[in-house]
Amino acid sequence: MDPHNALHEILLSAKRSGIQSTAAGFERTNNRMVRFSNNSVTVTNSWFSETPTIYLVSDKRRAACSVEEQSLDGLRKAVEELATTMRLTPPGDVEFSFPKGPFRYQSVAGTFDAKIPQAETELIDAVESAVNGSRKEGATRASGVVTTQTRERYVLTSDGAEGSDQNTEIAMTIRAFADDDSSGQGIALATNLRNFNPEEAGRTAGRIAKLARNPQQGEAGKYQVVFGPSILANLLDRVCDSVSAYSVDLGLSFFQGMLNQKVASDCVTLVDNARLENSPGSTALDDEGYPTQENYLVREGVLETFLHTSYTAAKQKATLTGSASFEAGFGGMAPAPHNVLLSPGYDSLEDLIDQAHNGLYVTNNWYTRFQNYRTGDFSTIIRDGAFRIANGKLAEPVKGLRLSDNMTRIIQSITALSKERRWIKWWEVDTPTLTPFALAESVGITTANK
Amino acid sequence: MIMNEDLANFAVDQAVHSGAGYAEARVQRDLGRTYTLKNGSPEPVTFATKLGVGVRVIVDGAMGFASTNSLNKDTVRSVTEAAVRTAKASTRLLKSPIRLSEEKAWDDHWESKMKVDVRNVSPEEKFELLFTIEKSLAQENVHVSLPSRILSLDESLTEKFYANSEGSRLHGFVPRLSLIYYITAEEPGVGFVQRFRQEAQSRGWEVVSDWNPTEIAANEAKILGRLLREGIAPPKDELDVVLGPEVTGIICHESCGHPQEADRILGREAAQAGESYIKPSMMGHRIGTEHVTIIDDPTLPNSYGFYLYDDEGVKAKARILINRGVISDFLQNRETAAEFGRKSNGASRCSSYDREPIIRMGNTYMKPGDHSLEELIEGVQHGIYMKNFMEWNIDDRRYNQRYVGLEAYMIEKGEITTPVRNPILEITTPGLYGSVSAVGKQMEFSGATCGKGEPMQAAPVWTGGPAIRLQNIRLGG
Repeated sequence: MDPHNALHEILLSAKRSGIQSTAAGFERTNNRMVRFSNNSVTVTNSWFSETPTIYLVSDKRRAACSVEEQSLDGLRKAVEELATTMRLTPPGDVEFSFPKGPFRYQSVAGTFDAKIPQAETELIDAVESAVNGSRKEGATRASGVVTTQTRERYVLTSDGAEGSDQNTEIAMTIRAFADDDSSGQGIALATNLRNFNPEEAGRTAGRIAKLARNPQQGEAGKYQVVFGPSILANLLDRVCDSVSAYSVDLGLSFFQGMLNQKVASDCVTLVDNARLENSPGSTALDDEGYPTQENYLVREGVLETFLHTSYTAAKQKATLTGSASFEAGFGGMAPAPHNVLLSPGYDSLEDLIDQAHNGLYVTNNWYTRFQNYRTGDFSTIIRDGAFRIANGKLAEPVKGLRLSDNMTRIIQSITALSKERRWIKWWEVDTPTLTPFALAESVGITTANK
Repeated sequence: MIMNEDLANFAVDQAVHSGAGYAEARVQRDLGRTYTLKNGSPEPVTFATKLGVGVRVIVDGAMGFASTNSLNKDTVRSVTEAAVRTAKASTRLLKSPIRLSEEKAWDDHWESKMKVDVRNVSPEEKFELLFTIEKSLAQENVHVSLPSRILSLDESLTEKFYANSEGSRLHGFVPRLSLIYYITAEEPGVGFVQRFRQEAQSRGWEVVSDWNPTEIAANEAKILGRLLREGIAPPKDELDVVLGPEVTGIICHESCGHPQEADRILGREAAQAGESYIKPSMMGHRIGTEHVTIIDDPTLPNSYGFYLYDDEGVKAKARILINRGVISDFLQNRETAAEFGRKSNGASRCSSYDREPIIRMGNTYMKPGDHSLEELIEGVQHGIYMKNFMEWNIDDRRYNQRYVGLEAYMIEKGEITTPVRNPILEITTPGLYGSVSAVGKQMEFSGATCGKGEPMQAAPVWTGGPAIRLQNIRLGG
């Protein structure tokens, strides 16, 4: 399907249906994946899809739809049905329209590599490099996934915005095992094949796995905790959920009512930057056609902005942030970050471990769940290599731990960050995140009681 | 029914022609609609349509999957060839050839029927339901401030046609309806509590009258107010714990269903959802008391995890995972069944046309016993009753888990007394199942969405069971 024809058909049909504002989108994706476990490929995947999206706004009413019927007639019917349904629903709480275009979009350098859509055997090679890398460092077996994504995106709104961009990404997650109880994770993430280093991801995973051999059951308590980039990226992912103005609107943000207030320690500066060159989440425009920008979410500990769509910006009387992201399900259009960046500090990992003196070094986590999104009370499972820190040095590996604390308390207790930062994106971290290691004080750790 | 059955048959033929030793294809259409009320104001009505074809092949012992939503023969041929080509290319990193268990080929039609088709119910009526619930949550009715109220009605219709190179041809249809409440209660000077609840079945609009959502939501809101005003800290000493059916259900799902998925046991999900504390040799191993029998049964009529044939064309059936405390079965697909030298038990599911089928639960529950709730509580001298929960998680080997109670009460001398805030059950899997001293007789199910796989696949499931009693527990936190 021709994207331009599809977008114009959506706008025309919506206008015929009497809709005031329409944002039409079209996404063409060509993705590949190789999954492996126990050093062996388990499946190869290839996906090709074209998906038009429709977001209608009229008389305080909103409606959204993703369509996979591949014809202009199908699109026309989809718009008409959506518009009819929307008219039958009660009005919402805010009158708004999309940002007035046209806009001049500036593309971001280094976000597309023409070799990635063609890559097939390169993915098998990457698996081999990563597995071999992990084994060289002492792992006995490894599992993981390597994925390429190629995305073309087109946006056209009834308010005069029209633009497109294309992105590529190659990503690997590898989890290496030295024995049943000792594992480590490595991640490689790039927008082009040249900067993609699966072997180093494998080596990182293998090194952690080997160090983590023969773990002892850890003990509950309050600890000085050094967070590795993977676990910190997961926590930042949840922080960014709360920075969404839509989460605030829903009452599901632990930052509600805290704009311009101190929410984190002085060393925490958190940015969402869709304009960063060579970065996986970078893009020129959001799904409402507004140009993207660099957004300081938290600057030196102070909550500086929430991320907005046109709806939340109108409701909360805020300015747009270029963060609108189409959601096929709940919400229709919601704010989302593009690239999350935590500013680096001045220390090495060894410095942070030394400063912790006695505590824990945790490399990864999974299964983060909240007791209460409004207060930020949550817990998450410590996964892969975790180590006791004794007298400023890494001591024995530990297992069976759960981080049980409060999200704002943790980011308020960060005392130091490393100079080194790593890109993280994997199963537990949706948004590409560039993060250092961090040291936090008095973090709650719990264990099973029986 | 779906118009594109010929494309599935075409994909199978093309795959075999291209060198696949085995091929299957599925045309699937998912129509989803969501109606939401946020603090009394409508959120966007959203429609999500997914329609496409997915093809899976085995070539020289390697597995390949490909999909497209461009439903024309040229594109289907192209993606089928990609599945074959990439599978073949991966054979150099294949330790041993992938095999599938031998299964009977079926030609059948299966569905869950709607008495009242959700498509024939107007959007006004759907919003009216949400507004009625909203009205019941007014402060003068529930006596607590509810600063955030999210009420959401989600309907989905899934049609699929499955074909494989062994002759199976299966048509399936499942309508699903789900109602979610997400309520935040606030008591000035005390704080906030939140409650998430999901009712869900594979039925038509007629299910709404069974749910009684208005009374349930208002009652839950009143309880949140009482928790805030009267809730005390949980005791630290050893005690007995009675868990409500909602908690029993999530336990069965997390620490029985997941660790007994054969793909996890074999390590296939290691980098994402993880592995299992269970090894293949643990079949027959005692993991709990004789009161514990846990079943996964996708064939339960009208259940949220309903299906009669899985996405490998295998006929579904009930699986007894733990029988009187002993591990008695694993959830299997055709690939793992071949590894275990047995037949599949029909546990292979995929969430949409563009996902490969992987091992999933359907409806996982603990078999009821013979105690009423009152009898379970009467047997406790000192303990708590944890009726439901909010926060939970479990490690990726499914051994160390945590459930934080929401509605909970002290039990003193066999009677429910004071509300308790946030009691934490943090316990190992054998520690938990080994502590079950009695099981209730009243079953309840909750709707849930289970996440697994990469790319992520969200599977509708039921979790359920009766209330159960655990002895000699120390609460954590």
